[in-house]
Amino acid sequence: MADLGRAALVVSLGLAFYALAAGGYAAYTGRRRLATSARNALFACFGSTLVAAAVLAVALARKDFSFVYVATHTNRTLPTVYALSAFWGGQEGSLLLWLLVLTGYGALAVALNRRLLRDLVAWVVPVFGGIATFFAFVLVAVASPFDTQTAPVDGAGLTPSLQNPYMVAHPPMLYLGYVGLSVPFAFAAGALLSGRTDERWIVATRRWTLAAWMFLGFGQLLGAHWAYVEVGWGGYYAWDPVENAALMPWLAATAFLHSVMIQERKGMLKVWNMVLVALAFELSLFGTFLTRSGVVNSIHSFSKSPIGGWFLSFVVISSLFSLVVILWRLPLLKARTRLESALSREAAFLYNNLLLVALSLTVLWGVLFPIVTQLVKGETRTMGRPYYDFFLRSFGLPLLLLMGIGPLIAWRKTSARSLVRTLTWPLAAALVAGVALVAAGAGSSTPGLIAYTFSAFVLATIVVELVRGTRATGSLTTLIARNRRRYGGYVVHAAVVLLAIGIAGSSAYQTTREQRLVPGQSTEVAGYRLTYDRTDPIRNDPNRTGRYAVLNVSGRWNGTLRTGQVTYTGFQETDEDVGIKTDWLRAQDLYVIANFDRGSQAVFFKILVKPLVNLIWLAGIVFVLGSLIALWPDAREQRRLVTRLAPAHA
Amino acid sequence: MTWVILGAVIAAAAVVLVALPFLREPQAEDDRLDAPSDEQARRLELVEARDRALAALKELEFDHRTGKITDEDYRQLVSPLRQAAAAALRALEEGKERYGPAMSGLEPPVQVPEPAPPPDEGTPPTPVPVPEPYPPPDEGTPPTPDRPPEE
Repeated sequence: MADLGRAALVVSLGLAFYALAAGGYAAYTGRRRLATSARNALFACFGSTLVAAAVLAVALARKDFSFVYVATHTNRTLPTVYALSAFWGGQEGSLLLWLLVLTGYGALAVALNRRLLRDLVAWVVPVFGGIATFFAFVLVAVASPFDTQTAPVDGAGLTPSLQNPYMVAHPPMLYLGYVGLSVPFAFAAGALLSGRTDERWIVATRRWTLAAWMFLGFGQLLGAHWAYVEVGWGGYYAWDPVENAALMPWLAATAFLHSVMIQERKGMLKVWNMVLVALAFELSLFGTFLTRSGVVNSIHSFSKSPIGGWFLSFVVISSLFSLVVILWRLPLLKARTRLESALSREAAFLYNNLLLVALSLTVLWGVLFPIVTQLVKGETRTMGRPYYDFFLRSFGLPLLLLMGIGPLIAWRKTSARSLVRTLTWPLAAALVAGVALVAAGAGSSTPGLIAYTFSAFVLATIVVELVRGTRATGSLTTLIARNRRRYGGYVVHAAVVLLAIGIAGSSAYQTTREQRLVPGQSTEVAGYRLTYDRTDPIRNDPNRTGRYAVLNVSGRWNGTLRTGQVTYTGFQETDEDVGIKTDWLRAQDLYVIANFDRGSQAVFFKILVKPLVNLIWLAGIVFVLGSLIALWPDAREQRRLVTRLAPAHA
Repeated sequence: MTWVILGAVIAAAAVVLVALPFLREPQAEDDRLDAPSDEQARRLELVEARDRALAALKELEFDHRTGKITDEDYRQLVSPLRQAAAAALRALEEGKERYGPAMSGLEPPVQVPEPAPPPDEGTPPTPVPVPEPYPPPDEGTPPTPDRPPEE
């Protein structure tokens, strides 16, 4: 069966290269049949990659240890769902997933636009072909998931931290996001190569960009929740290089989604938008490089391999390619108009862009710093949490404020008088919220207080916008249906507010206690009384051994909480299995980590009460909802594209 | 062995799919890639300019109605936008006359209304209907061709 997988990958490589070479030649010389043939090669490349992926999935499900990949990432006791999730638990499988999603996205995006954007698609195909050639080459020549061996009795098993339901969804979600950013990149590159830098590539890829951005954002929140329940340190985001790897392209894509509106409305920022699309794509490649190369120390260090050099070379080559084509087409990207006022919607978007890109590059510098110090000084030095927290506050809080001001400013120009008038209600709401928070004792953390006040401001802005818009159009549903992108965007803003409140609440106002208890002893934390009752060993589980401490909780909540330490079959290290009790009314968690004292009955408990932390997870749902509203298919937009382009291809 | 044969079948299927355009049309009469001519590209540019101008007018109207801009600002901003929209529509018309088929399929021009007269002090101006971008990028429905906007 491995032969079939290998053959399918070789076919994929050949097809991808054909799409690159023949597609490029066809677009350059204007040969119709050859361009169609290259396009078909891209479709076929998806088909053959799908066959390869199916072979690996079947081998994982059957736990066929004659596959080195299967033996390295599964074992006999591993539940089937985790055996299947081992597809993306290792290096080779992850790369195969990248290629599968890339060719799938590419084939679909090209198929959907092949009639209306024929001239552009002819150039898009070789760009997809080029990216796919790289991944197929790595899979065939450097890191094949189809290497075979004499089957051992049992496999090594899946890294324990990956044996979590969130790991079933989190990596594919991130890949859908990372790879999705290749669609706007391919179309932008196609527009530049063809010299047709009109807005068609933007209209054609708007939903692809939004979908990729949604997957990437939601994938990160899933990852944060995984870290929260699995890693057992009480947090959800550690500024780990691999976490940052997903954050950077997301920030760049966020900037693009805002700035592209300025291009659509005013024909400005064409160069900037091209740069942002390229930046988002390169950062997504760089993110995969960080995740897969093991070049930096990370909690994700379960995936180290020698593909780093190949990846880095591809990042450099594709970055140079982007730079060269943008510089080459600079004369076509000149703005037709200029910014009319510093107090306008487009100016607010510009400020937002600068902050988002600055935050993204600051995070990039933090990620690269250990590599740079290693190269320059011969010693690895890392940027700690204070560095990231400082820049998050410095750029994040003004961004939050802009999120409240931006929607209230008109396009082109707003007078100070208008601004004062439109800001009255949101400002009053923010002031009331701020005073109430100080009265409630939230003044103990200045950043927390500012974040809450700004959040109240943004929420009030959204409400004001909805009320005024509804008055103007007659109904809320009409208002939203007529401009899904804007009002979907407001729902996403609400999600960001929830996120900000959740982060500020759970970090700035968290209560922590560390206590050594023997059975029968109690401790009190933030209104909860916890009594250590007993220890329960894990029984009848072939995949895990270990024990749980059972705590009786009273006070704000009455019940039993279990928290323990677990060792998975085939692994030496011990994992924390945290005990979490969620208080939905207060959106807060009681979070307990146990560390058993060897040689006695005592247990060291770390108890955290995290107010409002559940708003972070709620934000994920609201974020997806807002994104779906914004990217919901719009028949009018399709008509717009058809009307614009039909005569061009008549 | 079975798997190797299956692999060969996949490769053969891929080759057929890739060769299909040449198998269907071994000797095509016209093998040129259908790229827009310069006239069509120019037309596209004008259509984009028209849509952008009409969308801006509509946006201005909406911002005025929702109180984001004052009457004074509205009066100041609306004229250049109307001029831009009218210029884009005129350019499209001229293009149709000049290039004929290359500009075919264009929508009939939308009459751009004159700016509203300055309102009396203290009286909010009656919003002047703004022609829809055709089709509008964000809101509304396309106007009926040849129908002047309602006054």
